[in-house]
Amino acid sequence: MLKKLLLSVALVSWAGYCYSDSIATYPGVTPNVSAGGNTWNMNNVLPSGVPGLDINLIIYSYTPQKQTADDMTVHIQNENAAGNGYIFRESDDWSGLPGGTEIRKVVPVVPSNRSLWGNGSIEVEGTGTVTEPFVFYNYRVDPCYDPQFDPNCPGYVQPAPPEIETVDINSLYDPLADSAVTDALSSTETDRYKDEEIESDEEKKKKEEEEDKDREERLEKALAAANNALLFAGAVAQSQLLDSMNMAINMNSYYAASIDGGTYKESVTLVDTQLPENKTGLRNGFAQQLLHEKMVEMQYNKKK
Amino acid sequence: MFKKAICVAMLSAVGTVYAADVPINGTVQSRCIITTDTAGVYGNPNAYTLTTTPADGGQLAVVRFDVTLADAYYAEITAPSSFSSSPTLPDTVTWTGDTEVSAVSDATGMGSYETNKIELGMTDKYDLTATGSTWFKTSSTATMGGNKAFPGGNYTALVEALCVAQ
Repeated sequence: MLKKLLLSVALVSWAGYCYSDSIATYPGVTPNVSAGGNTWNMNNVLPSGVPGLDINLIIYSYTPQKQTADDMTVHIQNENAAGNGYIFRESDDWSGLPGGTEIRKVVPVVPSNRSLWGNGSIEVEGTGTVTEPFVFYNYRVDPCYDPQFDPNCPGYVQPAPPEIETVDINSLYDPLADSAVTDALSSTETDRYKDEEIESDEEKKKKEEEEDKDREERLEKALAAANNALLFAGAVAQSQLLDSMNMAINMNSYYAASIDGGTYKESVTLVDTQLPENKTGLRNGFAQQLLHEKMVEMQYNKKK
Repeated sequence: MFKKAICVAMLSAVGTVYAADVPINGTVQSRCIITTDTAGVYGNPNAYTLTTTPADGGQLAVVRFDVTLADAYYAEITAPSSFSSSPTLPDTVTWTGDTEVSAVSDATGMGSYETNKIELGMTDKYDLTATGSTWFKTSSTATMGGNKAFPGGNYTALVEALCVAQ
């Protein structure tokens, strides 16, 4: 009993967690939007594809650079995207004050949808400049801004199933009722001509006899071809059988052969002696040398 | 006789005095809160100097005053003039220090804090005339006498920040 109770409690808790996790609002903050300059596009700094985003806080800091006597007012602002003027404008009047002192501000605003927030900027009015600006937007996201985002969102409406269109069968195209189709399907002139041909009985008999003859001839040829094939196959099988028998006989003689063992002693003996010079070769070589030298000399003793 | 006795007893009861002390409690929330924003760090550019100057490897101490009631408090910030803990020192130490406004949350109301401050030695006194937050940064330099070296070890000095009611 206790186990069942714990299980049911756990399931309820889990379901509640899932519910709150999927549709609960969550906060977020942009990076420093003035990192790229003193003007910025809100569509580039806020996360895209999130319609239920409300800006609720602006945090900024900068250091004014000015002479004490100069008038200077710094505006941190956002244009009103839904109309004229600004949806947010915070001004710091540094007139008559020394520069060089950083200002850090946290400005809460009434949460308003991102669609109302136009381009942002830091505007300096008067004499002076702004250094090291940091501007951050704090926001919260309501996933149920569009109730159809999640079935758990309040106001969620179960979408109706798509309507299936009823088709009037009678209104559909019937090809068989199309005169063009029926004309195409009707007999052609040639067919009509053939139909109109009347064959005589003798001609019919002749044709039938010829067809019977042809049929018999074809049957004979088919049977002859089958017989030839069987005979050829038999001859081949017989030949293979003979070959295998001969092979067995031949191989058995090798299996039965025996080779005598023993030692084959060296029977040739070479006696050391002096080989005479080949005089014929020497002479031949000498003659070749003379001939060669003669040829060489010829190139130097050319007659003009 | 019995009836008389009862009457006397009743009269006596009416004449008795009872006393009770009824407390009135109240809590005063401080309208001035001091928070350490950044702890300082001493750099050691040479053997006989410790300084919070960032160029010498140090870090300025930053303290934040949050005031929710204007014209009610002074901020008194005193740079250190001794170490709260250190190794045994071989000589006397000379101290210098200063406090400046680092940042403000209201340009118009706080922009003149720095120019209007009163300096009393190592103590700087600011009149907190506007509500909001003010960050003060304090520098400190300790120089060992006779150009002697600071002994190795850990050194700690404290910046004193006070919020004094006017």
